[in-house]
Amino acid sequence: MKPAGFEYERPGTVEQVLAALDRYGEQAKLLAGGQSLIPMLNLRIVQTEHLIDIGRLNELKYIKRVDDVIRIGALTTHNAVMTSELVRQSCPIIAEAYHHVSHHSVRNRGTIGGSLCHNDPAAEMPLVMNLVDAALVARSARGERKIAASRFFGSSFSTVLGADELLVEIRVPSQPAQHGWSFQEFSQRKGDFALVAAGALLTVHAGLCRNVRIGYRNVGPNLFRLAKVEALVEGKAADAALIAQAGKLAMESVEPPSDLHADAAYRRDLVKTLTVRALGEAIRRAGH
Amino acid sequence: MTAISKSSPIPPSRQRERPGQQFKWIGKSIKRVEDPRLLTGQGRYIDDIDRPNMLHAAALRSPHAHARIVSIDVSAAVALPGVVAVLTGEDIAKTTGPLPCFANPPVEQRCVAVGRVRHVGESVAVAVAESRYIAEDAVDLIRVNYAELPTVVDPEAAVHVTGDGVLHPDRGPTNIAHRRSFSFGPVKEDFANAARIIQRRLRWPRSGSQPLETVGAIAEYDGGSGKFTIHMNSSMYNYVGWTLALSLGVPAHKINLVPTIAGGSFGSKLFTHKVITLAATLARACGRPVKYIEDRIDNIMACDNHGSDRVYDAELALDKDNQMIGLRCKVIDDYGAYFQFGVGHHGNALSQIVGPYRIRSVDLDIIAVMTNKCQQGAYRGFGSEVANFVIERLADAAADELGLDRLEFRRNNFIRPEQFPYKIPTGNLYDSGNYGVVLDEAMRMLDYTGWRTKQEEYRKQGRYIGIGIATCQERSVFSATEFWMLNNEPGFALTSSPEGVSVKIDPTGKVVVSLQAPFWGNSPETMATMILAEQLQIDPADISITYSDSEHGLAGTGPGGSRYTVMVAGALVGAANIIKEKLLRVAGHMLEAAPHDLELRGGKVGVKGVPGMEKSIADIAMHAHFFRLSMPDDPTLTSGLDAAYTYDHPLTTLPSDDRSDLGIFYPIMGHMCHMPVVEVDPNTGKVSFLDYVAVHDCGTLVNPMTLAGHVRGGIAQGIGTALYEQYHYDENGQLLTASYADYLIPTVHEVPQNVRVGHVETPSPYTEYGIKGGGEGGRMGAPPAVCAAIEDALRPFGVKIDAMPVTPAKLRGLIRAAESLAG
Amino acid sequence: MGKCVISVNVNGKVYERTVEPRMLLSDFLRHELSLTGTHVGCEHGVCGSCTVLVDGMTTRSCLCFAVQVDGQNVETVESLGRIEAMHLIQLAFWEKHGLQCGFCTPGMLMCTVELLRNNPNPDREAILEAIGGNLCRCTGYQNIIASVERAVELLQTKEEAAS
Repeated sequence: MKPAGFEYERPGTVEQVLAALDRYGEQAKLLAGGQSLIPMLNLRIVQTEHLIDIGRLNELKYIKRVDDVIRIGALTTHNAVMTSELVRQSCPIIAEAYHHVSHHSVRNRGTIGGSLCHNDPAAEMPLVMNLVDAALVARSARGERKIAASRFFGSSFSTVLGADELLVEIRVPSQPAQHGWSFQEFSQRKGDFALVAAGALLTVHAGLCRNVRIGYRNVGPNLFRLAKVEALVEGKAADAALIAQAGKLAMESVEPPSDLHADAAYRRDLVKTLTVRALGEAIRRAGH
Repeated sequence: MTAISKSSPIPPSRQRERPGQQFKWIGKSIKRVEDPRLLTGQGRYIDDIDRPNMLHAAALRSPHAHARIVSIDVSAAVALPGVVAVLTGEDIAKTTGPLPCFANPPVEQRCVAVGRVRHVGESVAVAVAESRYIAEDAVDLIRVNYAELPTVVDPEAAVHVTGDGVLHPDRGPTNIAHRRSFSFGPVKEDFANAARIIQRRLRWPRSGSQPLETVGAIAEYDGGSGKFTIHMNSSMYNYVGWTLALSLGVPAHKINLVPTIAGGSFGSKLFTHKVITLAATLARACGRPVKYIEDRIDNIMACDNHGSDRVYDAELALDKDNQMIGLRCKVIDDYGAYFQFGVGHHGNALSQIVGPYRIRSVDLDIIAVMTNKCQQGAYRGFGSEVANFVIERLADAAADELGLDRLEFRRNNFIRPEQFPYKIPTGNLYDSGNYGVVLDEAMRMLDYTGWRTKQEEYRKQGRYIGIGIATCQERSVFSATEFWMLNNEPGFALTSSPEGVSVKIDPTGKVVVSLQAPFWGNSPETMATMILAEQLQIDPADISITYSDSEHGLAGTGPGGSRYTVMVAGALVGAANIIKEKLLRVAGHMLEAAPHDLELRGGKVGVKGVPGMEKSIADIAMHAHFFRLSMPDDPTLTSGLDAAYTYDHPLTTLPSDDRSDLGIFYPIMGHMCHMPVVEVDPNTGKVSFLDYVAVHDCGTLVNPMTLAGHVRGGIAQGIGTALYEQYHYDENGQLLTASYADYLIPTVHEVPQNVRVGHVETPSPYTEYGIKGGGEGGRMGAPPAVCAAIEDALRPFGVKIDAMPVTPAKLRGLIRAAESLAG
Repeated sequence: MGKCVISVNVNGKVYERTVEPRMLLSDFLRHELSLTGTHVGCEHGVCGSCTVLVDGMTTRSCLCFAVQVDGQNVETVESLGRIEAMHLIQLAFWEKHGLQCGFCTPGMLMCTVELLRNNPNPDREAILEAIGGNLCRCTGYQNIIASVERAVELLQTKEEAAS
């Protein structure tokens, strides 16, 4: 299936990209890695008058540490983030989640910024950003703004970015040295989008769970973190009974969609199972 | 006890080459002849070919499952720069007739729909342009008005549909394409007197070949001669290719079908009339070559070949000694919107319907129904893989109900070695076999008792592993009767399914073999090379292989039904015998010896017992080509060194007129035992493979490495059918699995990494060297074996698997239901 | 729709062409440059048959427009070897029966090239990761894994012989 036609430009700097976005607004689409956009163009699910190729903007490909925050340029490829020692040390849940993200060739070109802006309801990175309380930096011709991950994502395939805005950077707080993390995903084949994914981050002090973050993907529109379950676990003894309780509560707290590959009842089962596994592994890793 | 038969005696064997000889080439795992060009990217698949001035076509596909075509406006499409023509089904019907159909009465089908669309994705109009990009732009500009009609996708519901929901009202008032009952042996008594009757309702899902290369054709029409030349990646062009000429309204000698290598088929490129006919029609209409290649969406939605799609109500009768004696099935088969091969799939299944067991009576009620889905065609097994599934699931249920071991229950029911050749109730023959040996070998290779011990230990740890078994037949070398014998009044009762070959030795002694059938990923060049090298005692490097197009070709049915190696072996033996005779004759003149004192040895012909007194084949060939007058005058000795030979099916008999005996039509009977070991995660329903052993008996093996390749590939496809793949239509006939995002083909992560393949050889008494076919086998045993393994793993839950694919969601659902029953 | 002039290095040779921006890299290689060794199986980025290397990294050429690789280096299966002089990786696949129909093979070969350039001694998991995004319908993958492992051996032997 061949895509419909479009005008193409490849601006050399971020400023030029912003000027183009300002000029074209809704009539333009940004091409980063293309691993999500190009299949949609080929299938003619999406058409655009202008395609702005930002895939080779090297100024947005970096991973660096500034104080306690890892700053990742939006056009850093998935594989670069996945294999970064800096990311692995500061925020290991990201590297772990990447084991479930598509396939090596796709990760060679796909970018972390592209995935976040695309916001496929089954994609892993939007969930991870919510779990780690990332901040997303967007720039337009009018200036720059910092958006918390919890406010960045809209309903499926949408974000709060305006048509003239470019995501330029992702800021991930370093996690504490002795923290626990886990990313669990279930898909039918390795590399497929998640039927359900779950992630957990926490620390354990004196046997009690602290700073608990628990979230899910593909269990309901625009749903990431489950505050109810976080509240249940926060400050409690990190034991098997708590984990089981959390799993049950999570299962009861979601209204997941049914689709071809998974009905709602199955997704609820997965929420329970993956909660138990994620919490269990996070607690173990927290050194408890 | 042999099956009751009223048929004529078994014809004598025409085997010329015995099995068990000392072979130089046969039996060796030599590297494939086909590979170097494929490895270096030099394979010429259909889309790799360009013709000068070529145009490209794209199809507009129906978004509705069932609708009348009220009007089509192509004006905007035609006006697009770069577009040469836009044709509707009605336009095409002015010059091109219906497609060939093997059913009687036929179900009319066109390469582009006329008047009515019958499934989502059926083509409605076609645009031809300077590039495929522009052709698709044009397709987007075509406007169609539809009037929707009632849709049916449930085969059981489709049986009762009348009125506007009937897909082919001209053919009859219902969607039943064909209905037939068969009864072989004392079924009523066997069930009336049965000690126990096992019942199972089973659902086989619609999946399909999905080779990585789709179907395509490049057609050229020479206005001066009125002749079509069509490059295509289909098969059967030297068998029924001429029927395309009927559709195109030209005499058969005005169409030449030129084969290209194919990137996989598994049956789906068997006779792809839609694409070829369409490309030819467009070439004639546009006056320039036209390339039409299905893209993946075209192929998933509208190929010629979705696989079987059946509901079975099956019953097995057992006597008091736990012997399986009777089989009774009601099957509804969802053929989709068309009926190209008729119920050939069920004929196929009747060749081995009793499996490897001594079942003596069979009752089968077949309803072939049409629904608003893409048509069924061929997929590795061609319908008998479903019969394997049914009998094996019944056997498992019987063993479980009787409290017997699943393996020993089967063993005690096997046809015994001394009973071969064995006639089954339908009339077909099993030529040879030794099923207990295959089972023993599988158990040994798997370390069955070791895994049973592990299973116990794992259960104590809360892990659920299971061992599955399937002991299945793997028929090979079909006879043409399978396509029509289920119909008392067939439209065309063809009885030939030959395979020809021509062999030419050039003046330097090099050999060129022309095959009449294509390369699909099977290894026809390697097979032909090895067999001919064996026959002539020459170096395989001195042989090259070509493929005849239809105008130069001999009769050739082509690959399918695991027939090709057996049939081309027969043809090569025939051709080689002619050449050998001439080689010895000419050499005799050169050596002044009598031909009967000469033998072939190491690329030479020499006097028996006298080393050194010999001539190389190269010298003999030169002599044969150019030195006629140096030899005695004899009108039977002509210049040259070549032979053409057409080999017919080595063992067939006709069905009786009333079809109470289907005759011998698929007797070269292989057998397999599959034993997978799986682990089921009861929380997620995920099935993982811990081990897999497959032992195949395909008679004498030509190349063990390539056969094992087919077994492993077939197992991967069988796992796909069992766990991952389905063409899923919703209640409105919308295909929800219309791309590879949702039609889930297993990757390397989903299949076992170490399938141990074992070989047992029970040669056929009827084929050359005793070879049996084996190309389909892996897929014919894996689905029931995997389901059995899942049931075995989940015994503590009491889960039964009656339907596939066993997706994680479905399996978890079964476990959840079992858990809540248990309370 | 404005065409673009691009300059692409393919298998060591620089090609300058004028193309529509929407022309897929797969079509550019196959039909513009007649390098038909790269195959198209699905055109929506799932099967991996179209895999090539762009600046040394595996890329699904159906998920890339030719204009995107302007100025970059592309390697296709044609760069590996000829029938009379095959690459050791190709010889390994031949030896281990790592192909049947050959359609997925160029993609598998290019994945293997990238893998072994970056990791000359990969473990089983690394091999699975390298080919895990490429579908094969014929082989059941086992012989492809064996082919890659054999390629590792052949390349190491060559390395040792050279040093």
